[in-house]
Amino acid sequence: MPRPRRKFKENRAYEDLSITQLLKEINLLRETNKRYIQYIRDKVNQLLKVMGTLPLKPEELDDETLLDFDPIGIIAEAFSQILEHMRETNRELAVARDELQAIFNATGVGISIIDTDFRILRCNEKLKALLVDKNISVPEGNYCHKIYCNKDYPGFDCPAIETMATGRTVVKEVGKKDKYFQIVTTPFKDNEGNIVGAIEVLLDITEKKKAEAAEKRQREFYLLEKSKLATIIESLSDGLLVTDQNGSIITFNNAALKITGYNASEIIGLPYHRFFQALSTNFVELETSKSTELNIRTKSGNELTISLNIAPIKNYKGEEIGKVITFRDVTEEKYRQEIYYRTEKLVALGQLSAGVAHELNTPLGNILGYARLLLKSSNLDPRQREWLMIIIDQAKKSGEIIKGLLNFARQSSPSPKNLKEANINLLLKDILGLLHQEIEKNHIRVITEFGDIPNLKIDLRLMEQALINIVINAIQAVKDQRNGQIYIKTYKEGNSVKIVIADNGPGIPEDIKPRIFDPFFTTKPVGEGTGLGLSISSGIISDHGGFIDVESTEGEGATFIITLPITN
Amino acid sequence: MEVKILDILGQTCPSCLLIALKEINLNYEKLRKGELKIVIKTDHRDATRTIPEAAKAMGYEVEVEKIHTYYEITIFKINKRR
Repeated sequence: MPRPRRKFKENRAYEDLSITQLLKEINLLRETNKRYIQYIRDKVNQLLKVMGTLPLKPEELDDETLLDFDPIGIIAEAFSQILEHMRETNRELAVARDELQAIFNATGVGISIIDTDFRILRCNEKLKALLVDKNISVPEGNYCHKIYCNKDYPGFDCPAIETMATGRTVVKEVGKKDKYFQIVTTPFKDNEGNIVGAIEVLLDITEKKKAEAAEKRQREFYLLEKSKLATIIESLSDGLLVTDQNGSIITFNNAALKITGYNASEIIGLPYHRFFQALSTNFVELETSKSTELNIRTKSGNELTISLNIAPIKNYKGEEIGKVITFRDVTEEKYRQEIYYRTEKLVALGQLSAGVAHELNTPLGNILGYARLLLKSSNLDPRQREWLMIIIDQAKKSGEIIKGLLNFARQSSPSPKNLKEANINLLLKDILGLLHQEIEKNHIRVITEFGDIPNLKIDLRLMEQALINIVINAIQAVKDQRNGQIYIKTYKEGNSVKIVIADNGPGIPEDIKPRIFDPFFTTKPVGEGTGLGLSISSGIISDHGGFIDVESTEGEGATFIITLPITN
Repeated sequence: MEVKILDILGQTCPSCLLIALKEINLNYEKLRKGELKIVIKTDHRDATRTIPEAAKAMGYEVEVEKIHTYYEITIFKINKRR
């Protein structure tokens, strides 16, 4: 503050002053006043400059108004508010700093701030806890690569290097000892935006990694199990359908399509009971866990017998979430089973017959012998002779029946010593030669088509008998009609030889078809046929490991198909 | 919130700032409590810089809006009780 040139002395007596002196004093006072005002203006301007605005112009405020307006007071007041605001701000900052520090230490992630020389400026408690090397207690001031990576220089893969070079956030996962960490580095910038370091956030993801690995193992396990299951399902020869809760088919295997003849798009989504209903005429809705047999018609119209099983699929709570339906074609099995039962029956019958036949043979022989002896007597009249002839004839017929029975009974397995390599074609030619007269007599046309077939090991005598019976059967079927025709064909199919003997006779009615191979079953008048022919044939062929099929439509003839295995 | 309109149209700097500051000082209590906002109408462009700067330094919120031929500088305080 500039000092006034002279100090005004209060104790000076006014009366001592002359006018000149007074004027001088006034001027002096004005001068001083002007300087004071100027001083005030300068200080106001200085303060205004601090406030960032222009200096006052003298015309803006005259001296009087300047004092009234009190700009210094105004600015001082403003400053006190600025100070108060700053104090408030400082308090807030202090709180915020404390909070940040608390968060810094309380957070679940390790945080460290490193400078461009890779020195750790600061780190939180969590980071210290995460350090793999427990010997380091104060990481601050050390090189991060030394502390974190145990290296003398930062590695090429150091995320902090990348962040400081590019200014970008870098996320990396690293494994240290038996732990896994996720590191996120973000650039640390000064006020001007220069990168002066990096903030490294370290997150322990060991548990997550372990969980992921476990999940991966689990997933792989399930995938493997799934593929195993798929392979098993596909490789099944049984048809398999899986339905959802509502019974709609959601999965099926190849065998299911193969058995039913339907394609995938026709099956999928179809309610299973409708599917089987469509196939079968006697479908009843099935209880689960029950096995049943159904006769179904495939898409192409073939009739099949299937064995069907339904099992519920349950979830972990035990609630039913679908069904598994397995089914298999048992047509052939059933057929074989029937044949087996019939064979069993025949064996039993054969044993019984053999016993009875044997017992009857002796008394019958005596009847015949004594009748012949009696015939030699000369004192018989013609009527008595005729009666004797009838006795002999009937006894002979009985003998034939007994012979047939014995034949039938004797057809146990052909003994190995009787098995010889023979050609079925030659055997059939012999048979046709043997029956030549019968065929000629009845004007029957015989067509043969002998294929190239290998020799079979057979009991020639028994096989001849079996085939003769079938050919005779054919002859008898056509002998009463014009244009009687018998067709005989042989061929090799797979591992077997097939013999087809067909006639154009009246055919076999549907109701007796299952019984034609039964012993004593005959359609001929009583006394004409024993009903043993086909039964014996069937037995012999079955003993050779083969089987006979018969196909016939009433009115259109019958076809016997004999299948004999080729054995080495 | 009470609104006080301060019309200083025609005034230039630095009086603008001083008048504004004086008004703020006078109403200091109410402003701090968030009971009042002061709307200053000025057509002096420089004032839209100096007044907000000063007011912000004093801890006030400032909004500047241009209306036709003048500016409206609104000064108020949001009470952020912690």
